[in-house]
This record gives sequence, structure tokens and C-alpha cells, in this order.
Amino acid sequence: MTDVTLYHWEPNANSGKPMLALFEKGVAFDSHYLDLLNFDQHKPDYLAVNPLGTIPAMTHGKLVLTESTAIMEYVDEAFDGPRLMPADPIDQWRTRWWMKFMDQWLAPSFSMIGWSVFVGPSVRQKDPAELEAAIDRIPMPERRVAWRKAINGAFSPEEMTESQRRVALGIGYLEQALGERQWLASDEYGLADINGFNLAYAMPLSQPQLCNDELTPHIMRWLRAIYARPATRACWALGRTDLARRISLLESEPA
Amino acid sequence: MTGILYHGQPNGPSFTVLAAAFEKGVDLDLRAIDLVAGERHSTALPHPIEVDQSIEGEGPVLVVDGVAMTDSVFLACYLDEVGSGPAIRPADPYARWQMMAWCRYVIERVAPAAAALGNAATPPPAVPAGIASADLDARWAQAVEAKVDEAQLADSRSKIFQAVEKIEAQLADGRDWLMGDFSIADLETHAWLAGMRAIVPDAFAAAPLTDAWEARLRARPAVAQALGLATVPEPEAIWAIGPEINRWG
Repeated sequence: MTDVTLYHWEPNANSGKPMLALFEKGVAFDSHYLDLLNFDQHKPDYLAVNPLGTIPAMTHGKLVLTESTAIMEYVDEAFDGPRLMPADPIDQWRTRWWMKFMDQWLAPSFSMIGWSVFVGPSVRQKDPAELEAAIDRIPMPERRVAWRKAINGAFSPEEMTESQRRVALGIGYLEQALGERQWLASDEYGLADINGFNLAYAMPLSQPQLCNDELTPHIMRWLRAIYARPATRACWALGRTDLARRISLLESEPA
Repeated sequence: MTGILYHGQPNGPSFTVLAAAFEKGVDLDLRAIDLVAGERHSTALPHPIEVDQSIEGEGPVLVVDGVAMTDSVFLACYLDEVGSGPAIRPADPYARWQMMAWCRYVIERVAPAAAALGNAATPPPAVPAGIASADLDARWAQAVEAKVDEAQLADSRSKIFQAVEKIEAQLADGRDWLMGDFSIADLETHAWLAGMRAIVPDAFAAAPLTDAWEARLRARPAVAQALGLATVPEPEAIWAIGPEINRWG
């Protein structure tokens, strides 16, 4: 029995961030899997926990926390275990800078591509009336718009081109940063790496022309090093779909 | 500690960082630059990724030990770590989570709306040379050409209404500051909303708790010191390009 419950989808993107942070800290938690593709996050049981219907959410005793990156900082501060925020104030700044850059600039571009090739087609097979009713239950107007776009395949060519431009640039920035130091924000593994891995673990598969041993050796070194960590293995074992299984690509040897 | 802070008029992110530095008693070499003229892109400043690709847009730049740092909330966290003044973040992890989640709401929802409205009210004169980020460059061009998307502005105004409602609700229990104790959340929230009173006055029409909170904030010596650096009568009317409006809506 534990007093921590995490409500999450796949170890991927936002859900995977607090999952991996909890595993790295060695914090036992009750895993409550929500099937995003079945709209579990908009059903009454979960809305009673997080009225906004966003994933992930964490409860710690009577406390309820949302916003994956802010949850990670909480996990690091509230529990014993290895420190995941660097000790040096400049490294702390760099950790937060990269997490924001990924959360607000790079990840939305990846997810626009991901939703158009995976989430949209996955849910489009459902009954249209049922789908419409499910979307109407989404609490946040912004999320209703996003779901309608994903399901209808309505991201404009300009939006997709812009997302692809950002993905290409972002991979270059990551490669440059990881060429300057061993880990993304400091000389020690930490929250920026956990955040970044959730964004980047499948890049060699989804963006093979941009991310590979030849073009981005520092990214590949970094991804393999994170994949080798026991916490990462334990975390990704909670995945139930092909999305999480993409991680096995990192078992390959450097070319 | 020595550091150089390149900052604009005390509005938006420059306000947050200046006031945080004074609250914490951090002695910095203050260098005023004209953000609306694009001086942040001049070769006088360092241009690592973290400066050129800052999500915040035209925010201040703090250089310490050769490292150029950006993004006002995180600069304020840094100043809290290194300064000797009273803490400007809660010590309790959950209270700290509340502050960071509140600031995330401000930087992701309120700041882009405020900057868009501010730019529409007073478009900058020209797109400066040397902007490394194509999307920041595009936001400049849109502001200079006053290409106003009415739906986006209407949505931005509603975001300002929502922000004031959120502040009223937060202060309803009689607390003085948003997180209970004074914190970075107060500075960052004021930073983006101060200039909205003139542009979206209706949002503040029935917000007595917000009015009193702002008066308390402006009475703080560090805040007054930051505002005293203004070289124009109304710094809250000066808007450089801000963060982009969320592409997902």
C-alpha cells in the first residue's frame, strides 16, 4: 500500500515524465492506467480526481497534482532518493529552460505529427455519434478543438510543415546541447533528461532521416544511456501499446 | 555574485526579473536595452540557443559566469537561489508546485494573450535585423504590419478576463498574496496584467481584490525600485514581442 497514485496513459510524452521520475526516485506508487484512445480521461471517475480531464495527475495522500513537469519537480522535492534537480543554480535554470522549450515548443510539434498519424486514425474507427459525444464531454475548450482536429485530420498543411520544421530544428538543438555536456542540462542525469527522453525516445524511428548514429551521435548516445537505466526499463514495462514498444529500437548497437 | 542583466522597460518579463533581483538583494550590472527596437538581437549580447530560442520572446537576458540565461520565471528562481533576501518561493514542496503550476498558466495562457493585445494596441515600428528564430521573426512581422486576427484578439481578451477571475477567486479567502506568502507568482502575474487595465478595462471593472492586491504589490520597495527604472511615463504601455499563442488553440 502506498499513498501515491499516478493516473497516466502510456510511458510516453506527458504521462511518462512523472512515471519515470517516480521510478528514478524509487517511490512506490499505485499505477492507474487511463486509455487515452478510449477517452478514459474524460469519464466521471477521473474528472472527480482532475476536473480538467488532462493526463497525467498524481495524488499524494489528500493532495492532487497536475501539469507533468511541475509534478516532476514536486516528486524530486517531496521524496527521498537520488536528487534529480541539479544542485548548482545555473544548472537548475538550464534544466527548467530545456523543459519549457520542450514542453511548449518542441513537444507540441511532435505531438501534432503523432496525433495525425497515430491518435487520429486510431480513434477515427469508432462510431461517429459516440465520438462526438465523447468530445463534448471534454472539459477544456482548447482540448475539444485539438481532438476535433486530430480526429478529422484537420491540421492544415501549413501547420504540419511548421511542425516538421520545428522538429528538424529541435533535433539539431538537442544534438548541439548534448555535444556540450554529457546530460541535457548538467553533468548529472536529471529532470531535463527524463523530460527529454519522453519526447525523444522514438525519434530514431519516427524521424530516421534526421536522428541516427551518423547525423546525431550525441542524441543516440544519450538515448541509449537512458534506456540502459533500470528505472527506464521498469517504467516502459507499464506500456500496453505499440507506442511504448518503440523503445526497443534503442537495443541496437551504435552503427 | 556579479552578473549583467540586459532588460527592457519594467513591464512584462523585464519587470519580473528586475523586481525579483531587488527583492532578493542581488547586485547586478543593469543594462537597459530597447526591446521594442530589437536591441536584444544586436551583437552586443551573447546569442546561445537559450537566448535566441527563448519561448518568452523579447525578454531580459541575465549573464553570469559567461552563461546567458532567459525566461523570467526561471531567472527569478535562480535569483531566489543565489540572493540573500527573504525567499520568493514557498519552501513546502506542494506549495511550490502550486506556484510553479500557477506560473505555467501565466506564461502559457496569459502572457501570449497580453503580448498580442499590447502589440495590437501599439505596433512596433520595424522588424529588427538579426532575429535567429523564424517563428519569432514571423511574430514581429505580424505585429509590425498590424495584421490583426480578430478571433485571436477576442480570445486573448477572454484570457485576460479569465485571469482576473482566477485572481479574484485565489484572493477570496482574504490572503494578501496569490500563494499566501509573497512569491514569484505575484510578480509574474502583475508583469503581464499591469498593462491590460488600459487595453481590457472591463476585465477589471468588478475586481476589488485584484485592485487591492496590485496596490499592495506596487507599494513594495523592490517593486517601486523596479518601476522607478522606467524611462517613459507609462512602462506598462510598452510591449515588445511576447510568447506565441499556443498553436493547438
